[in-house]
Amino acid sequence: MLKSRKLLAVLALMLSFVFVMTGCGKGSNQATEGGKDSIIVAQGADAKSLDPHATNDQPSSRVMKQIYNTLINTNEDMQIVPGLAESWEQKDEKTWVFNLRKGVKFHNGEELKASDVKFTLERMLASDKVNHIVEAIAKVEAPEDYKVVITLKEPFAPILAHLSHTAASILNEKAVKEAGDNYGQKPVGTGPFKFVAWQSGDKIELEAFNEYFEGAPKIKKITFRNVAEGSARTMGLETGEIDIAYDVEPVDKERVKNNDKLTLVEEPSLSVAYIGFNTNKEPFNKKEVRQAINYAINRDDIIAAVLNGAAEKAGAPIGPKVFGHNPNIKPYEYNVQKAKELLKQAGLEKGFKTTIWTNDNPVRVQIAQIVQAQLKEIGIDVKIETLEWGSYLDRTGRGEHDMFILGWVTVTGDADYGLYALYHSSQKGGAGNRSFYENKKVDELLDKAKATNDSKEREKLYHEIQEIVVEDAPVANLYYQTQNVGMQKAIKGFRLHPAGHHRLYNVSY
Amino acid sequence: MANVANLQTADVKKTKKRSMWVEVARRMAKNKMAMVGLGIIVVLVLLALFADVIAPYEEVVIKQNLSMRLKGPSAEHWLGTDEFGRDIFARIIHGARVSLKVGIVAVGISIFIGGSLGAIAAYYGGKVDNLIMRFMDILLAVPSILLAIAIVSALGSSLFNLMLAIGISSVPSYARIVRASVLSIKDQEFIEAARAIGANDFIIITRHIIPNALAPVIVQGTLGVAGAILSTAGLSFIGLGIQPPAPEWGSMLAGGRAYLREAWHVTTFPGLVIMITILALNLLGDGLRDALDPKLKQ
Amino acid sequence: MRKYITRRLLMLIPVILGVTFIVFSIMYMTPGDPAQMILGESAPESAVKALREKMGLNDPFIVQYGRFVKNAIMGDFGRSYATKKEVFAEIFARFPATLQLASVGVLVAVLIGVPVGIISATKQYSLFDSVAMLLALLGVSMPNFWQGLMYILLFSVTLGWLPSGGYGSFKHFILPALTLGTSTAAVIARMTRSSMLEVIRQDYIRTARAKGVEEKKVILKHALKNALIPIITVVGLQFGHLLGGAVLTETVYSWPGIGRLLVDAIKQKDTPMVQATVVFIAVTFSIVNLAVDILYAYVDPRIKSQYK
Repeated sequence: MLKSRKLLAVLALMLSFVFVMTGCGKGSNQATEGGKDSIIVAQGADAKSLDPHATNDQPSSRVMKQIYNTLINTNEDMQIVPGLAESWEQKDEKTWVFNLRKGVKFHNGEELKASDVKFTLERMLASDKVNHIVEAIAKVEAPEDYKVVITLKEPFAPILAHLSHTAASILNEKAVKEAGDNYGQKPVGTGPFKFVAWQSGDKIELEAFNEYFEGAPKIKKITFRNVAEGSARTMGLETGEIDIAYDVEPVDKERVKNNDKLTLVEEPSLSVAYIGFNTNKEPFNKKEVRQAINYAINRDDIIAAVLNGAAEKAGAPIGPKVFGHNPNIKPYEYNVQKAKELLKQAGLEKGFKTTIWTNDNPVRVQIAQIVQAQLKEIGIDVKIETLEWGSYLDRTGRGEHDMFILGWVTVTGDADYGLYALYHSSQKGGAGNRSFYENKKVDELLDKAKATNDSKEREKLYHEIQEIVVEDAPVANLYYQTQNVGMQKAIKGFRLHPAGHHRLYNVSY
Repeated sequence: MANVANLQTADVKKTKKRSMWVEVARRMAKNKMAMVGLGIIVVLVLLALFADVIAPYEEVVIKQNLSMRLKGPSAEHWLGTDEFGRDIFARIIHGARVSLKVGIVAVGISIFIGGSLGAIAAYYGGKVDNLIMRFMDILLAVPSILLAIAIVSALGSSLFNLMLAIGISSVPSYARIVRASVLSIKDQEFIEAARAIGANDFIIITRHIIPNALAPVIVQGTLGVAGAILSTAGLSFIGLGIQPPAPEWGSMLAGGRAYLREAWHVTTFPGLVIMITILALNLLGDGLRDALDPKLKQ
Repeated sequence: MRKYITRRLLMLIPVILGVTFIVFSIMYMTPGDPAQMILGESAPESAVKALREKMGLNDPFIVQYGRFVKNAIMGDFGRSYATKKEVFAEIFARFPATLQLASVGVLVAVLIGVPVGIISATKQYSLFDSVAMLLALLGVSMPNFWQGLMYILLFSVTLGWLPSGGYGSFKHFILPALTLGTSTAAVIARMTRSSMLEVIRQDYIRTARAKGVEEKKVILKHALKNALIPIITVVGLQFGHLLGGAVLTETVYSWPGIGRLLVDAIKQKDTPMVQATVVFIAVTFSIVNLAVDILYAYVDPRIKSQYK
């Protein structure tokens, strides 16, 4: 008996040790009670790094957007507006001059100088993760404290859009050098919120930066929480643990709308979801087959069943919010008869067997199942293969697939970003053109559009490209997904950004 | 001479074995809970066997009807419809095929590999034993989820690979069980007798040792089928389950979790069926354990 | 005793080495290019190639593994491909959450499982026994994540008593611990019951009863003490497993533990992170097992003499 009492004592001691050591029970996180100057934002994954040159994923960008500023901003209406650069001019085809705002402070007290911009962009060019965003840049100079000159390798019209990418956020040279390899956990920016703490896998805490150059934000504290399960984000909203939930599951949208304490904001995003065909392989090398599948897919059913209506049918490969979108292209209609005729023309009236690949994203898996059922109607027997993300990217890049489901986000809001990688023959494989599409005319037009500065002219070129690509049908564009955010009704000043990283500076209770 | 002796011992053993199994069956029959478990399993197996008679696969089980999405239970669809408008009852019955197959084959794989390794380790002892069992320790330390993901992503995600993945991860526990029971048997007299009359290692292991080490394996195996079904469900939950549109209970459960509140029946019924099946397997396993354990004889 | 512990710890070394080799082979052989994963789907191929070269991914397998072992011996397990954080810093940042959940989960399990097991054993075939064992079985039979979702629905959404997920305050513990605790309790209850049943039939218990010792005392003092070894084994095993992370429960409750760290790392082909996490899990598991073996000695003095 004595022994077991000792045992109990040991156990109790161990447990209390565990709790003391790990500092458990640090007060509650209830958001709705009391102090309305802090908000809790939930998203589906933790950030990877807060070093803009170390990663290019959405969850990280959403946090970095609050900490940093870019030279140029793309606002919520996709217009180019001043950021850290208050004005700029194009000297010649390849030279741009930016005049910096004066008196901008970094979170560590340093003042923003042109040397920081030069340092940042050079560091970005040296980063393997994000250098492709600014690869057009040949050289960055800082002739004066508040003047930056950027020289391009060749004329590149969308350069301003690219400089507004969160990956082009401006860093402080001193802070980066001090933190060394750990900079990703000790970010220093000029943004309205400064970094406080990061409980890995759980939450990131930011607080208001009172010396922010546009004035201190109204909210004193923001916590980004990692809530992977979509249903859990909605439940958190309902119980008041979460103030703003990014990406409410389609099925939960009605629930949020009907709750009188909550609101749902919803707008088109910059993304398109598509089914790609491996045009190197039989029978997808035949245009008729690709078109037939386009006609055989009932996009309305997919949108209704999988997304609860949270999307718009896609015709053109870039959505209406992207510069260069061709509004005259209509989505392929659902027409089984026509699909069968086309298959007949291709000599495949009896149909054929093929596979469709998807990663384990539940939305894509569901789409695959519906497409599988729809293609059965025209005699195509589709097998679904779900691959783990790594091998999915790898193997589709090598062209081992027949059909695949993927999405593309034109983050810069410019047609070049959404069309070049997907349809230029130099980008075949892992670079983005996973349908291995090749059309000389398209290549030529894409190169020309990229170098054209006149936006009317560019727009015309992109319209033409989209017409050819949709006719050739190396992919079946499915839909432009709308993005949504659910939040407490009491929250004011929130606006969705089409690129998905919403700015929280103007938010208040 | 040797042949005669061999024949005789075999004969004696056979009758002895038969009476042992009769005794076990008699004891099992007295255990009501175990019989309930057995009854449920028999019903499930029958449903699985005659699934096509009850609901045609192509027309009902995988055929989508998007206008009938997420409808609750009704006279037409007893357990309602899922997110693609498919009849859940039909899918559960066909799912019994998949799930039971996954469970049984996965356990079969682990018993075969684990059992052989365990038997070899125990029988030869010494360095062989040490080597095999250390390897088992290593395998035990590699998380089963890593193994599963690795096998599925290296070999492709077919039903068999999934079973292989689940099977391999429980190889070490069978190796340990078989090793332990072989160790307790191998020095007994009848083994020595067999060796004395010239039986080789293979004959001794397959004829004498394995049959006698079977009891704990059967018990563990019954419980293992339950575990394998749960593992499959768990893998489906993190997105590594069986390829659609095959109706597997775990993926039905995982797929319906987004509709938990709009359409409770989509997750509830597959969940209940999993629960009942696991329960039945556990009752059966417990019953077998009691019946096979000579110490519990009363 | 000290010798015994040292020997057990030394035996860990080959196991760990073997584990790293297997994990490394798995990560090497499975398709998926870490460089591509880092850069994402919209990165140009030239960038991927350059990064592969820089990361040394083009070297032969043996060279890569050798480099890993050499650095690991020097205590450098590298930085995560995905986050660039030092892998062990990341693991230690996550471990408290896992340790707390595992401890509270096992505590709940023991508090439910052991009493239920004892009562069931002493009242074998009674109504309580049948009902308790049935409930215990239901506990093991329910898929964990399903149970978790049901709890959230009931306790957070419908009743509004508890947070639906997250980490931080005491309230956040209750549901995850309950989810883990009930399924673990079931295992412990069954083991307690069968172990107690075996002990109760022994002669010395009969003797104690014959001597007129109070029944409660017979059970708690004489029987339980002798039935403790298998119970401790099971509790230890369960605790060891939970320290390796409970992926499903962590996912349902957004709990920042080791399990999700590992699964995310595997999915992202983050080899250094996977390596370190698996090594860490293997070591904690072995240490818990060792602790259980040492505990035996305290419970049963006969065993103590075997540690040499």
